[in-house]
Amino acid sequence: MLKKRVIFTLLYDHGSFMLSRNFCLQKVGNLRWLQKNYNFSQIAFSIDELIILDVSKGERDQDKFCEHVKALAEDCFIPIAAGGGIRDLELARKLLNSGADKIVINSDLKTNPKLIELVAKEFGRQCLVASIDVNKENTVWIQNGTEKLDLSAREWLAYVSQELPIGEIYLNSMENDGTGQGYRLELLDLLPPSVSVPVILAGGAGKYHHLIEGLLHKKVNAVATAHLFNFVGNGLELARDEMLNEGIDLPRWDIQTAKNMKNCCANSQ
Amino acid sequence: MVVVVDYGMGNVYSVLSALRYLGCDPILTNNTQKILEASHLVLPGVGSFKKGMQSIRERGLDKAITKAVNERGVKILGICLGMQLLGSFGDEDGGTEGLNLIPNKVRLFDSQTLDPEMKIPHVGFNSVRTSEQEGLFKGLPSNADFYFTHSYRMLNEGLEGRLGKCNYGVDFLAAFETEKVCGAQFHPEKSQTNGLILLKNFLSL
Repeated sequence: MLKKRVIFTLLYDHGSFMLSRNFCLQKVGNLRWLQKNYNFSQIAFSIDELIILDVSKGERDQDKFCEHVKALAEDCFIPIAAGGGIRDLELARKLLNSGADKIVINSDLKTNPKLIELVAKEFGRQCLVASIDVNKENTVWIQNGTEKLDLSAREWLAYVSQELPIGEIYLNSMENDGTGQGYRLELLDLLPPSVSVPVILAGGAGKYHHLIEGLLHKKVNAVATAHLFNFVGNGLELARDEMLNEGIDLPRWDIQTAKNMKNCCANSQ
Repeated sequence: MVVVVDYGMGNVYSVLSALRYLGCDPILTNNTQKILEASHLVLPGVGSFKKGMQSIRERGLDKAITKAVNERGVKILGICLGMQLLGSFGDEDGGTEGLNLIPNKVRLFDSQTLDPEMKIPHVGFNSVRTSEQEGLFKGLPSNADFYFTHSYRMLNEGLEGRLGKCNYGVDFLAAFETEKVCGAQFHPEKSQTNGLILLKNFLSL
């Protein structure tokens, strides 16, 4: 049986990593900061998957974003999904050649469904993560939360999960985003009863028991947190231990062994 | 010299990163001479069996790989599609002969026999069971979790050697080490500690 997952989401904006609260962004640091002050490559040993989203406003520098994905993928031995501003197949291909395994699509689900078909045909539907931002009135917003769709979240989720060739749904609460007050579990009631793709719940996790609460829900396959300061130091490592103790079926590995293996084959080749 | 075979299929960046993390300095190449001179070959790959074999043949790499393995005793690890290509025949896209380094065939998961809850492709972390504690499996727990993403799997067909099995509705061959070749249907480069252990073991063969 497939395991459940804990995902870390990094928000990227023109070379910096950001904190988001109700979609208002605050800069925290660049890649160097992430490694040096936040010790990201160590933290990455406590998660099952990494999502990197380019939430830059205005014109995006896609080459620079790919370089950041590459740098993060270097010491990060888990599946990686990347997205934000993907408007053509070439950028999708470039991200997949930079260490990403999946592509995250949000606005293009509405504005460019042809691209979804193209990416699915070229790389398979398992490669596509449909990101859906829902506010407290259960309406859907695209373009970094600036443009409202006419459809209800229930209608949109039914369409995306049943009509588009996607592999997963990333369901994010705009209301709880960055608040640390816990996931908005009611969002899961908006999913069609027959939803056949894995669901990632995002928006609001502040403590490890929020992650547990999410993972215990039968419709949830993975939980995501984007809050850089709620799980600092060995916070995620401890959270993971708690989740395993609670009987949540996460993949298991020994973190210390991986740290000890750095350069272990250096002299044998 | 560790050579990652470059035949233009899929993401090799993470494979190179994981090998570098372990401290080795892999070469990414499609040069047949380098392939013959390698101590270890890694055959990665994402995509279809047919396209994969076409890409290998177009570059003349099939002969170099089989010669390196059969005549020079070069160790090879096939990852995901790379493992499947080590087999004799793949059904995908109408059927293609593989590198035939092992006689096993590659088939689509049979959706008729799978639980409706079990979706194809099989994507995510799943456990690999083995009773082996040496070679490719040294230092791994008897139930080790690895990251998979695939729709086809290699049939067991009496393969002899050190084997690891995974269950996804049905049991299937997840990893193996025979006298000459190794394969992993999962992605060791995406499987945290367990994947690094397996790669380290391969480099030690």
